[in-house]
Amino acid sequence: MTDHDYDVAGDESAFECRYCDRPFAHEEWLALHKGLDHPAELDDEEVQAFREAHDEEESALGEFRLRALGALVLIYFCLLMIYALV
Amino acid sequence: MTSRRRRATAVTLTAVGWLLAMGTASAHGGSLAAGSRESLTIPTWLFLSTGGAAVGASFLLASFVTDRVFIERIHDWGTPLSGGVRPAVWLGRAVGLVGFAAVIGLGFFGPTTPQTNLAILLVWVGWWAGLAMTTYLLGNTWRVLNPLSTIALVLPSLDRDYPTQLGAWPSVVGLLALVWLEVVSPLADEPRLLATAVLGYSVVTLTGAVVFGRETWFDEADPVERVFRYYGRVAPIGRGADGRLRLRLPGMDLSTPRLVDGRDEVAFVVALLWATTYDGLVTTPAFRDLTTPLVDAGLPAHLLYPVVLAAGFALFLGVYRLAVRSSRRTAETYLSPAELAERFAPPLLAIAAGYHFAHYLGYFLVLAPALGLAMLSPLSDPGAVPVYDPPGWFGGVGIAAVIVGHLVAIWVAHAAAYDLFPARLQAIRSQYPFIAVMVFYTMTSLWVVSRPEVPLPHL
Repeated sequence: MTDHDYDVAGDESAFECRYCDRPFAHEEWLALHKGLDHPAELDDEEVQAFREAHDEEESALGEFRLRALGALVLIYFCLLMIYALV
Repeated sequence: MTSRRRRATAVTLTAVGWLLAMGTASAHGGSLAAGSRESLTIPTWLFLSTGGAAVGASFLLASFVTDRVFIERIHDWGTPLSGGVRPAVWLGRAVGLVGFAAVIGLGFFGPTTPQTNLAILLVWVGWWAGLAMTTYLLGNTWRVLNPLSTIALVLPSLDRDYPTQLGAWPSVVGLLALVWLEVVSPLADEPRLLATAVLGYSVVTLTGAVVFGRETWFDEADPVERVFRYYGRVAPIGRGADGRLRLRLPGMDLSTPRLVDGRDEVAFVVALLWATTYDGLVTTPAFRDLTTPLVDAGLPAHLLYPVVLAAGFALFLGVYRLAVRSSRRTAETYLSPAELAERFAPPLLAIAAGYHFAHYLGYFLVLAPALGLAMLSPLSDPGAVPVYDPPGWFGGVGIAAVIVGHLVAIWVAHAAAYDLFPARLQAIRSQYPFIAVMVFYTMTSLWVVSRPEVPLPHL
């Protein structure tokens, strides 16, 4: 994940990775990127930041799963109803 | 909860399956097999929304898989294949050359009824239906079989520099031109015409290979070679980064970075998908009704077909580019649009392969006995042509193919997004616009197969 093309508008403030210069929109994403792509080079602070960002991501994913499940059930019942009526 | 989830998918998928079974797809290139699309017993809007909902539901299901290690393991699974390849290559080239000679020779001098002429059957049934199916189901053998590539081996080369800014664009134009030719001309009915077309295409291809060099021409500009190469990437057997043969799970090669390199190659993938739709679109009553005023107003009918072909391609490509832009916003990424377009185009190939299979499997099986008979006695003209009569449940196989194509595409795009973005929710969000595009493509194709088939209007 090192040779990418980026497109950062002049007035945007991006968080750049100090190992590969890749810019990110959020600090947590930068922390996750460092942990995933440069695991051997991190100092203690960065490892800590990665762990926190990872935990936060886990809980956000849990919430997303619930919503996705809700959407699935909704699609299922909507189609069921429509097929019953049409 | 899991069982409820499973039931939801099962119901959605069966619904789509059942719906598709009602509107059997018919293959083009073939007034040969008289298959006609049947009309639906449910309203069209419901048919289309069920298809769209199935794609959306598959995406939601894929988004439940959030384990990076698991996704990578699935995509990296594979085993190297070895074996004596050299003799097989020579044998393959010989088979390709014999087939080419048969198409030209019997096209000009064989029987004139299409169902008994080996040239017609070999090109449409053996090659465009049969060989293309083995290409995405097993592996790409066309690079060896391709008779023009073999002939180009012994031709001299001027080795002129291929203009790099042209890239894959000649193959995009070439593919659209071939599709147009296939639709508007009776290439599947008149062996003489088919042989002339094959000869014309061979002259163009061999000239290109002589001027720019064999490798360059077949890598960049030849549309047919590119179609087979792209379909081959869906297949389980392919060449790895080291050039050695490797067995993988089908479709997983599509998540490899740099598989599609540049906007020209993205355009080719979209053109391949659009070609499948256009094929059916021109035989719908809606197309006839919409274009009648245009033709009455004085638009030449022969201009109409290429214009619609180009306009539809521009629409499909425009929608894809729009999705790329909007994906940059939903994923809040600084990656360039070109990079996103290249990473998320290859999954569409799985959809194209799924539709190809659904369109051509029945066509292939029905006419395979005729092909066999023509191979045994290429010069005689038997009165009765044997055809295979597929059983009633057969429609389900095509439907399954369409669904599997979508599932593979959604899964591969999911994996590519995980590879590209550090945050997993960001990866999921990056897919929203692409899923919308897949829903649009699916609903367009389903709409086409659900329409009754009418003869090509205005020709």
